Amino acid sequence: MRGLQLPLSQTQRIRLQRALEKLQSLSCKANSDASVTVADTIPVNYEDAFLKGHGTTDLNGDLVATVCGVVERINKLVYVRALRARYKPEVGDIVVGRVVEVSQKRWRLEINFSLDAILMLSSMNMPDGIQRRRTALDELNMRGIFEENDVVCAEVRNFQHDGSLQLQARSQKYGKLEKGQLLIVDPYLVKKSKQHFHHLEQFGIDLILGRNGFIWVGEHVEARDSMVVDQANSSEQSMVPEEKSQTHTPLEMRQNICRISNAVRVLSALGFSIDSDLILETVELSSTVKIDIHDMLGSEFHVLVAEREAERRSLMGKRKR
Amino acid sequence: MVGLSVGEKHFIQGGIAQDLRSDGRKRLTYRPIYVETGVIPQAHGSARVRLGATDVIASVKAELGKPSALQPDKGKIAIYVDCSPTAAPMFEGRGGEELSTELSVALQRCLLGGKSGAGAGIDPTSLVVVEGKVCWDLYIDGLVISSDGNLLDALAAAIKAALSNTGIPKVDVAAETTSDEQPEVNISDEEFLQFDTSGIPVIVTLTKVGRHYIVDATSEEESQMSSAVSISVNRKGHICGLTKRGGVGLDPSIILDMISVAKHVSEQLINKLDSEIAAAEASEEES
Amino acid sequence: MEYVSPEGLRLDGRRPMEMRQLRAEIGTVAKANGSAVFEMGNTKVIAAVYGPREVQNRSQQINDQALVRCEYSMANFSTGDRMRKPKGDRRSTEISLVIRQTMEACILTHLMPRSQIDIFVQVLQADGGTRSACINAATLALADAGIPMRDIVTSCSAGYLNSTPLLDLNYIEDSAGGPDVTVGILPKLDKVTLLQMDAKLPVDIFENVMGLAIEGCKAIANYIREVLLENTKQLEYRRGL
Repeated sequence: MRGLQLPLSQTQRIRLQRALEKLQSLSCKANSDASVTVADTIPVNYEDAFLKGHGTTDLNGDLVATVCGVVERINKLVYVRALRARYKPEVGDIVVGRVVEVSQKRWRLEINFSLDAILMLSSMNMPDGIQRRRTALDELNMRGIFEENDVVCAEVRNFQHDGSLQLQARSQKYGKLEKGQLLIVDPYLVKKSKQHFHHLEQFGIDLILGRNGFIWVGEHVEARDSMVVDQANSSEQSMVPEEKSQTHTPLEMRQNICRISNAVRVLSALGFSIDSDLILETVELSSTVKIDIHDMLGSEFHVLVAEREAERRSLMGKRKR
Repeated sequence: MVGLSVGEKHFIQGGIAQDLRSDGRKRLTYRPIYVETGVIPQAHGSARVRLGATDVIASVKAELGKPSALQPDKGKIAIYVDCSPTAAPMFEGRGGEELSTELSVALQRCLLGGKSGAGAGIDPTSLVVVEGKVCWDLYIDGLVISSDGNLLDALAAAIKAALSNTGIPKVDVAAETTSDEQPEVNISDEEFLQFDTSGIPVIVTLTKVGRHYIVDATSEEESQMSSAVSISVNRKGHICGLTKRGGVGLDPSIILDMISVAKHVSEQLINKLDSEIAAAEASEEES
Repeated sequence: MEYVSPEGLRLDGRRPMEMRQLRAEIGTVAKANGSAVFEMGNTKVIAAVYGPREVQNRSQQINDQALVRCEYSMANFSTGDRMRKPKGDRRSTEISLVIRQTMEACILTHLMPRSQIDIFVQVLQADGGTRSACINAATLALADAGIPMRDIVTSCSAGYLNSTPLLDLNYIEDSAGGPDVTVGILPKLDKVTLLQMDAKLPVDIFENVMGLAIEGCKAIANYIREVLLENTKQLEYRRGL
């Protein structure tokens, strides 16, 4: 179990084993049969025309897998979905990245991909909100918008011809993320869904599930229109950092942020896919069991979450039938 | 080490000020410690300690050697630490040397006492076989496999566990020897002497962030520190060594306060560690 | 010294064609993109893979493929007598090069241009066959990291003592002064990527010994494939729908 180096007592071990076995029996049988490792032949009907997708290669006329994963067939496309791998970007994905370098007219972001992604200055909304050409002054002030090590939320715009990635952050909901913490999980646990920005009203917290496995949990910030207003007070902004240190996140909100982060950590350690409903359920579970925030990372809670997940999936399976 | 943005740093500092760190711990809580003994069967004693994502292995090897002329009644102990590149790509080649040296020296200071060997956490007089002629040389090696902050505490815990797991072979000395000859020694394969580890200290590292200190910092919290003091305390509550890292100056009263906090924390840590080591040895015997 | 008793048993009780016990574990180093522990008898090795990621040193960037780097280091306590220098000595440099070339041959580097893949191998215990254990561990770690490969690489060693070909030599047999043949193969493609031998052997006996080593490699390949398949299935059913 990756990263699950927990001291489990004998009973806990048995309970966990039972829960995982239940999950195994519930999983789609077709899927487990379709698991392949590197250099396994993929069973294909060679008479039908088919397209070779990612993770496959041709070997002496046979179709062979190049990564360990599950074979997926969609219409005529046959490909291998790798589980633990670097992020595989698709146009339109929402990602969270960290600025690595500020260079001429662009920022370079690290997003858990084989190359760093580029965010052009022209793909960014200007603080004053006006759509205009970027001047030399804008270039010199790039650090005023994002500087090194900042956490940024953006969208995948397109691929360059040489394979590198271009991002854009044109809408109000993208931009710099502050007042919170960044969690890193495996990209395959975050599935593509309609909503990646979640505003959890009952906690007042923003939860952003980046498709690249970077998850941001932080205080809720109103839509970034504040940037437009700030330009007028920009001179005050530069002096504010001193006073900012006084305004820490209130304790209750911090507790909620920690609870949600720990829920994400537990789910990622157990290998369950992460979406906002599951996170909220896990947080509820921790409150009902009245477990301390720190103890959420202990063995007992891990076993409880595994058991609860096994139940939930079996209920879902029954509902489908 | 990954950098942190201003907003994240602010968040961490706020958390420490409010006694609620990013993973929900209080300022003086340790992460769960997981101990395994006997991981290197070829060595005389070994242990692996996991503290969150920090993973270290310590091994103890004993070889027969000659005691130094200045201290004929004491054996020799040497501690070396190596940072494996598997922990972080920057430890590749010579990148990890600085950190390894820093850790080795800090451990030596905390566990081995002064130059005369006085006040050592590990008693070297128990290592002598024939006074002035033959003694055991104890080589304690630490290896950092994965690093997420607080390496010093984890290494000290691993060394303590490895020493509890160590069995020094019993030696029979040939009876008739003249005073200048090397006596013949017979190393037994069967019988082993267990080390007495009740006197071995643990190290508690207190990291100062802002106005407060925390115990067991993760690597993100360590990047925020202004200074850190590592104090080694033994079961009796005696201080066996002290190291201060980080450039910011500290008021002497703060250091004294940190020492008393460390003593308080070390009691729980020693108890927890001893119970984990006992559990690990028990499960090792079963397997 | 007798390495093979008249009944046909070696010093540790194995038969001449018998390999030591294998044990593999995936995912030991949480921070790495892929990691594995591989044990062959008493030889224990950890491999960690970081990448593919952006090339750190711009001058080394290759425009149409990934850059593969490898470092081999032995722990101080890994051998019977303590080693002074864990890395940087000539043997470590040579083995790093060998591992890098072997893994580079099987990784599909053209799929990840201008990126960098780092393979770090750390020996915890050395009891003969460290080279082979390192390559096997590196293969597991690369598969764990989801890096596309042409085929897995497995490696095994064989020797010839007391007129008997022996599979998977341990340290005592290795230092006996007899020949030591290390072979690395791509099992599916049935190709040899690594072949090293020291001491001397007549050619026909060499063919025998090499054939034995290749058999050993195939057995290891089956084991590795099982471990990877089991791991993939586990991850898949845990993830759910």
